[in-house]
Amino acid sequence: MKVAATRRNVLVLVLVLSASCVVVGLGALAVGGVHLTLEEVWAALRGTGSNAEASAIVRDIRLPRVVLAALVGAALAVAGTVLQALLRNPLADPYVLGISSGAALGDIVALWVGGRIAAAAPGFAFAGALLTMTWVYALGRRGGRLKSFTLLLAGVVTASFLSALILFVLTLLSTRDVRGVAFWLMGDLSAATGAELRLLAPAVVLAIAALYWFAKDLNVMLLGDDEAAHLGVNVARVETAVFVLSSLLTAMAVSVSGAIGYLGLLVPHVGRMLVGSDHRTLLPTAALGGAMILVLSDTLARTVVAPSELPVGAVTALAGAPVFIYLLRRTAG
Amino acid sequence: MRRSLVCRYFPFLAVPLCLCVASGLRARVVTDETGRRVNLPDHPQRLVSLAPSITETIYALGLGDRLVGDTDYCDYPPEAKLKPHVGNVLNPSLEKIVALKPDLVLGISEGNRIETADQLQRVGIPIYGLTDHTLDDTLRSIADLGRVLDAEAAADALGQRLRARIAEVERRVAGAPRPKVLFVVWYQPLTTAGAHTFISDVIHRAGGVSVSDDLPGDWPRLSLEAALDRNPDVILFPGGESMAPSLNDIRRLPGWRDLAAVKHDRLYVVSESIIHPSPRLVDALEQVAAVLHPDQMKGYTARIDDCRKLSVVSYQLSVAVGPRTTGNWQLTTDNRRFLQSSIVNRQFFFQAGQ
Repeated sequence: MKVAATRRNVLVLVLVLSASCVVVGLGALAVGGVHLTLEEVWAALRGTGSNAEASAIVRDIRLPRVVLAALVGAALAVAGTVLQALLRNPLADPYVLGISSGAALGDIVALWVGGRIAAAAPGFAFAGALLTMTWVYALGRRGGRLKSFTLLLAGVVTASFLSALILFVLTLLSTRDVRGVAFWLMGDLSAATGAELRLLAPAVVLAIAALYWFAKDLNVMLLGDDEAAHLGVNVARVETAVFVLSSLLTAMAVSVSGAIGYLGLLVPHVGRMLVGSDHRTLLPTAALGGAMILVLSDTLARTVVAPSELPVGAVTALAGAPVFIYLLRRTAG
Repeated sequence: MRRSLVCRYFPFLAVPLCLCVASGLRARVVTDETGRRVNLPDHPQRLVSLAPSITETIYALGLGDRLVGDTDYCDYPPEAKLKPHVGNVLNPSLEKIVALKPDLVLGISEGNRIETADQLQRVGIPIYGLTDHTLDDTLRSIADLGRVLDAEAAADALGQRLRARIAEVERRVAGAPRPKVLFVVWYQPLTTAGAHTFISDVIHRAGGVSVSDDLPGDWPRLSLEAALDRNPDVILFPGGESMAPSLNDIRRLPGWRDLAAVKHDRLYVVSESIIHPSPRLVDALEQVAAVLHPDQMKGYTARIDDCRKLSVVSYQLSVAVGPRTTGNWQLTTDNRRFLQSSIVNRQFFFQAGQ
């Protein structure tokens, strides 16, 4: 009875959120630096438009960007949600663990080496994120178990060490650092190629689906590791799987979009306020909510100062910090 | 007691006193291009340049032997590389500058930081600052440097030669239809040159019109769809080995392949002199004019000695990424040169300060 009710709730929730995602996405396709009428946008989407320029703008510029924003938003929000549960720390987010610094270092090293290597910079960013993740994970493990406090500290220290390395390499770098700095400090969704999107989409969806499989275990683990173990959860296995999956999500997001702050931190909190902390409902809420919020933020970034653009990270931080403070005061009071 | 104290310290006081009097005799107070008051020596003999464009101008005025120090990025003319370096443009070493005992330091407000000027002033070294937003500013800076460096005749002659070349270019392109030009400072994210930059001015005077002329700020970002909408006929990249992407890089990016200029292969790398407000900015003007108006500029290179490099530097990207040399190609310039340019530095500094 209870299970059935939950299932139905989840289904309704997912449907409603997906529908709003689609609406937001279509809205995002309709606005931008150049004014297009709704008919033009619709015609371009269906491929029946006679206006080649409108078709190029909608299909080649806006559509990949909206899809990328949705994927990155979902990835970061889900990674933040599970990391907060895993570490039982409300401040945990994908960037605290140094993963994004690792990605930035990988990218910048690739640019430093130059030549053909530089062309593979997103791959290097991904590798950098994975290496950092492995390193932090190794540091955070004690006696076969993940210690959340140790892991957080290891992440923070690693992040600051990697930032220092990045600054060092930047002084050696010459010109490509323009992208390096602008991109890695504030995030940018304008540059993902079709090939990257085709790789990213199934990977993000698969990783989120895999994490959903651990939703129940995460619920139990919120009670505490020992309680979870008593209730038959293989805590060490869940920890490893969840950590690896969330790190993969973060690495993928960061390597194509740079560091976009506040999503991984804030979306889980808002999600928990809306639907509670049952991960079976929270995870889809976070995924779709994160997607929606980043699509909205990027739409603002594209339109507010049109024909120029803002870095999307500036928008998420401008909106995210006040919301976080509001939540903080509400919870404290 | 009091008297003996003065006596005892008199030698120590005498030296700075004499220096003060002496420098007072030899100096005049002027206002530089940035509006700062400068205690200018009448015949400066030991110069330190804090920007490649200033180094170039000093050499162009025939005063290279008075230059006692320049920056790591000063590599034109090649002799400039042999001078003692004081560090980079944004963060020159104050100690190295002081150790070179300059009687005048020259800086530029679009590249150097105001803190550097303040520090130098505090240690008593006069610094004369230039500003350059247009080609005419650059001509004025050359004349100014001539006055400041006591080389007015050379500056006049140089200014006349440059003016003649500019006038010839303008005469040739006058009346021709103006192609729309997108100048790509950086392509990912697309960053371009705003209205009040000498780049925009050069494009205009070379008979083109910059599509980013209405944007605020010197180096604004332009959304790709706005670029598509403005439909530039020609896309220009500043030269330098690692500055310009390959055509393959560009085609990989979403949206770029829809640009008419990309479809028609009208992407050019112009000499990096377009990012230096020095006498070579006129070279850049001639190159841009030749790219935008090949018919009107026909035969021009043969007449002007300085412009022989044209065929090398207006390097069409499609040539560079032909079947044999995919992706990777080289110009002879040191890629580090671009860093010193105000363009990247400003951007870099702004971003890093966030």
